[in-house]
Amino acid sequence: MVAFTEEIVDVGGTKVHTLKGGSGEPLLLLHGAGGNNGWLKSIDALAEKYTVYYPSHPGYAKSERPDWLETIPDMAAFYTWYLETLGLEGIRAVGFSMGGWIASEIAATCNHAFSKLMLVGSVGIKPNVGEIADLFIISPAQVLDLMFHDPSQAPEYQAVYGREFTPEEMMVAEGNREMAVRLCWKPYMHDARLTSLLARVNIPTRMVWGKNDQIVPVECGELFNKAIKGSDLVVFDNCGHSPQVEKPDEFIKTALDFLA
Amino acid sequence: MSLDVYYFTEMPYHYIDDELAEQWPSLRLTFPNSYFDPNKATDLFKRYLDEFQYAEEAGFQGLMINEHHNTPSCMDVEVNITGGILARMTSKAKILMLGNMLPTSDNPPRLAEEIAMLDVISGGRIVSGFVRGIGVESWASNSNPIHNRERFEECHDLIIKTWTTPGPFRWEGKHYQYRAVNPWMVPVQKPHPPAWVPGTGSPETVEWAVKHRYTYAAFLTELTRAKELFGSYRDQAAKAGWEAGPDKFAFMICAHVNETDEKAQESGKAFMWRMGHPLKGPKEYWAPPGYFSQAGVAANAARRQKPMNQMSYEELQEHNHLVVGSPETVIKKLRHIKEELGIGSLLLETQGGPLSHEDTMRSIKLMGEEVIPALQD
Repeated sequence: MVAFTEEIVDVGGTKVHTLKGGSGEPLLLLHGAGGNNGWLKSIDALAEKYTVYYPSHPGYAKSERPDWLETIPDMAAFYTWYLETLGLEGIRAVGFSMGGWIASEIAATCNHAFSKLMLVGSVGIKPNVGEIADLFIISPAQVLDLMFHDPSQAPEYQAVYGREFTPEEMMVAEGNREMAVRLCWKPYMHDARLTSLLARVNIPTRMVWGKNDQIVPVECGELFNKAIKGSDLVVFDNCGHSPQVEKPDEFIKTALDFLA
Repeated sequence: MSLDVYYFTEMPYHYIDDELAEQWPSLRLTFPNSYFDPNKATDLFKRYLDEFQYAEEAGFQGLMINEHHNTPSCMDVEVNITGGILARMTSKAKILMLGNMLPTSDNPPRLAEEIAMLDVISGGRIVSGFVRGIGVESWASNSNPIHNRERFEECHDLIIKTWTTPGPFRWEGKHYQYRAVNPWMVPVQKPHPPAWVPGTGSPETVEWAVKHRYTYAAFLTELTRAKELFGSYRDQAAKAGWEAGPDKFAFMICAHVNETDEKAQESGKAFMWRMGHPLKGPKEYWAPPGYFSQAGVAANAARRQKPMNQMSYEELQEHNHLVVGSPETVIKKLRHIKEELGIGSLLLETQGGPLSHEDTMRSIKLMGEEVIPALQD
């Protein structure tokens, strides 16, 4: 396993908790609405090749939220500042679910931030046929049920989701959920202008989706693919919303192939 | 010491039986409105409004109305509509609107002028309750629960300024912005109609009520908890250098009177509908993420020992969520509540669930003739 450190990045006075590890060129990972799940197998594999920066978004877990930060575009503005603070530019980025929305917004509005972009089960575009599942009106246990197609094929499922949580962890999870509500309540998990803005993206982009994603329909992957010039879409069979947890080996291969 | 007694009903569409209610996770938010029959509702409204009118005649000093959305438990979807009807139908009772949901409003000056218009039509009888809306209203209005409290406060500040500051003025707030706040309609009562706020236990609400010297109304709360909340109000007021009198405290409870205890216990069972299905629902409906602060979560848990919809008829009476009996019995219980809490207003949900017109009218009559006068000493 690659060693990682927990670092605090001070972005204009806002302290952002960041997991950092590995070696090689920088790679930014942006987590989903539920929060940063830590240094999982798939993250570790990416750190074999790259220096991974895996922050908890402002307002999540130990990261502070500046008062002005209320929306996904605010989050994108914040992250361009974060990258500037670290002296990073033109780097590789992977965004998971809501983190994919943040990454798309950054790529669409700041064309020198990233050199390659991967979006995994990303929200941000409203599907035409289905709907993005409303995760706020159901319980965290119900969210978890929707997240996986078959939890038994996810090697880290028990370690991440199946164990007893401490009261502190429960508080963090509740706080994360509140931050997601702040950012994504309305319009729910999408922004009508994103599709048009994505026409600006001119870097290699790959979408990765679980075919059985019950949270963000594969149709959303197709819409991203259509909106971004020269992108591709990789769909995993028998896989839900979190390919990086449910099918880590396939995910690692796809990610490393693309990012290389 | 005198006591203002208010008549209250949520104007329930109570034609939802146990079998139907049990098929759905809740009677709130997502219970299909295909079960609504507007023609039945026309008859119900006529009946409920007649009962309000009779309550004034019978001797209630005030009439209380509220609003909820997406639920058969409360057909009143807009207190300012019912307020308008009552303003014209009645002539002396206070009209307590408890209240307008501020956070879900996108147009505070419009609310300010609507309430002002009611105050004008009623000749200054409006008591303006300001509410956050229970959690489920954030869903119904799709209003972000994270902003509930700050929108409540900003909406309130703008309404009060609208009532008390000659227009036109500009407002550039976080959630509301206006170029020219200048409604023609301003209230009769000066500086503005009395403002009330209901509480279910959040310490922030008590603190806010003290800051503005508003009447704090405890809703269906255990007596011991209500005592703590009122005590906290009095302490904070004392620290701020003023004494909070009974006019700052109101207590809401379901109440039913019949000729004898035996008859009342039988007819009062109708309240079990109100205490049952309408209170059922997933946690997320009642507490959308961000709606309660950490302190609010703890306070809400302390509000009562177990959920009301898990209490038996007897337990509801023991815990003072429901008072049922002959005039004599009810007088005794309500006197006890009045003395324990030091309240100036008692809000009696007198019609609840499928309680019939006949039973409701008799209860109103007995309250007017016997209960209300006996609570005045």
